[in-house]
Amino acid sequence: MTLDINQISNQINQMVGKIKTGSNERSEHLRAVMAKLCDPDINLEALKRKIAAARTPNWSPAGLVDGLSQRYAAQIAPKDYSVLATDGSDIAADRNMPAHCYLINIGTVYLHYGSQPSAELMSVPKLYFEDSELVIKDPSNPHREQQIDGSLLDIKRAVEECRKLADLASVLPPDETLLAMMDGSLVLFGMQNFPEFVAEELVDKGFLTALNTLQQLSFSRRLCLASYISFPGSDQVVNALKVAICPQQQVDCDESCQNGEPACDVLSGINDRMLFSEWLKVGERSAVFVNPSQIVEKRYGSHQVYFFYLRVEDEIARVEIPQWIANRPDLLELTHSLVLDQCQRGQGYPVALSESHEQAVVTGADRESFWGLVEEALVAEKLPNQISTKSSSKRTRWV
Amino acid sequence: MTEQHKVGEVIEACSTDFTAQCYELYRSPALGSLVKTRFELQGTDVQDAWLYGIVYQAQTASGDPGRRPIARGKEAQDEEEIYRDNPQLMKLLKSDFSVVVVGFKEGERIYQYLPPRPARIHGLVIPCTDEEVKQFSRSFDFINLLLKSRLEIPVEELVGAALRSMAQVYEAEKHAFLVSAGKELAGLLSADYAQLKAILKGLKNDAK
Repeated sequence: MTLDINQISNQINQMVGKIKTGSNERSEHLRAVMAKLCDPDINLEALKRKIAAARTPNWSPAGLVDGLSQRYAAQIAPKDYSVLATDGSDIAADRNMPAHCYLINIGTVYLHYGSQPSAELMSVPKLYFEDSELVIKDPSNPHREQQIDGSLLDIKRAVEECRKLADLASVLPPDETLLAMMDGSLVLFGMQNFPEFVAEELVDKGFLTALNTLQQLSFSRRLCLASYISFPGSDQVVNALKVAICPQQQVDCDESCQNGEPACDVLSGINDRMLFSEWLKVGERSAVFVNPSQIVEKRYGSHQVYFFYLRVEDEIARVEIPQWIANRPDLLELTHSLVLDQCQRGQGYPVALSESHEQAVVTGADRESFWGLVEEALVAEKLPNQISTKSSSKRTRWV
Repeated sequence: MTEQHKVGEVIEACSTDFTAQCYELYRSPALGSLVKTRFELQGTDVQDAWLYGIVYQAQTASGDPGRRPIARGKEAQDEEEIYRDNPQLMKLLKSDFSVVVVGFKEGERIYQYLPPRPARIHGLVIPCTDEEVKQFSRSFDFINLLLKSRLEIPVEELVGAALRSMAQVYEAEKHAFLVSAGKELAGLLSADYAQLKAILKGLKNDAK
């Protein structure tokens, strides 16, 4: 027996019971959030200043740009346009295996719509095995290095996805209207857990360099860049409303609300998705907000991450864009209409992202084939190919 | 069928038949047409060795068996619009065709029995030229291979399609070709009048 479903089913019922009990309270909180979103007494400039000065150690409020409750209908998407998307998967280095290496597979999709429709789908796997590829070294201290595995491999993969996107966008015909798309956030989360030299290598020299390339391209051609998050769980806009509802002039959670019930508790348990599900009609986007992430503020420079929510048939998506798109109304509107068009063509999810995922995906069987091939190649060269007993016991099970 | 160009590539092969994937969606050679693919004759000096086969099946489906095509045309004016609005379909759908092996060519000699080895995976599949079809159909021994084959398609249909396809290249001698083929069939199927009748009925219109 691996997982005892009988045992877990009781626990699932208990969990569902808890969700049911909380649903009345959530409806009440959602009404409070909606009321605050549409509060005509909110002074936008004053709230921007209040947010900027707020001390909220446990949550981050979104920055405001054009308002809180704005809703924008999409313009009609151009008939002729191209979309380029990348997505990645990896096979992490495994210390139980005979060779130290990892693999990143980048799936790319280029679709052109209009009078001459065409499509290019491909995946490019790259094996990283050189010493310089397995770790990031501190240039100022040769004894300091950081292994690329776990969450750092996720970040490395995101960097490679963006790099590939920029490389491909650079060689496309400049007269095409182009939407460049990535999956997930433009923010490289988790970077704060690593030393400065790692951030310099992956963020400054990697991700931001690729964004620079895309920004440069946007000066000479119609190019939009968007990162798409399906079913987002973030609550940064609701957090901005928490700042708005706070009776204190200077929001300081530790100072004002250590004892007693904070005023913003009436908004708890609600995230941005729930809020905009109520507020946006199909095809509409929300106002634009600024991602308050620290790493973005510290490192991203002209690529500050903005975002808006988009109502697609059955769900709310979060679309992240760099500042240089958000500041150009024409590109912002184009991004809105093209992302929506992609969702409509893809049964609710951008077709280019779904196909690039299909190109990138590495299945369990692929992983086994990959390690099998590594072992075979080592055996052919009469090199040591010992795997750990743990790994071998997983392969050959017994009773 | 005068131009020699590859239409697909072998992706599965055994001694009696092979399956090829088309380079372009829906561009599989016609049912019953004669195609060839190069193969290796081990232990000989012969460089020019070709395996001949007759197309008996063609199909188009999703390239990934886990992803079924879905209906997309509810709002579309016509079928073309669906492909225009979803250009990725041209890459995600795959057309395959299956070929029953009916002989091989070694240098200048043509043999109408199974070759010593099957086609090779990634072998290029080329439709035969009119001249090659004429050369191959000088003998009717291949009909026996077709009649004995165990395929998903009714064998009468396949024999009829192959002979009609071959007859096209004979132009003025088309009638004579089909009469000869009919005589060969009469000999082979003397014990199965129903099957003979079914094939001849299918050839009747072409023989006029």
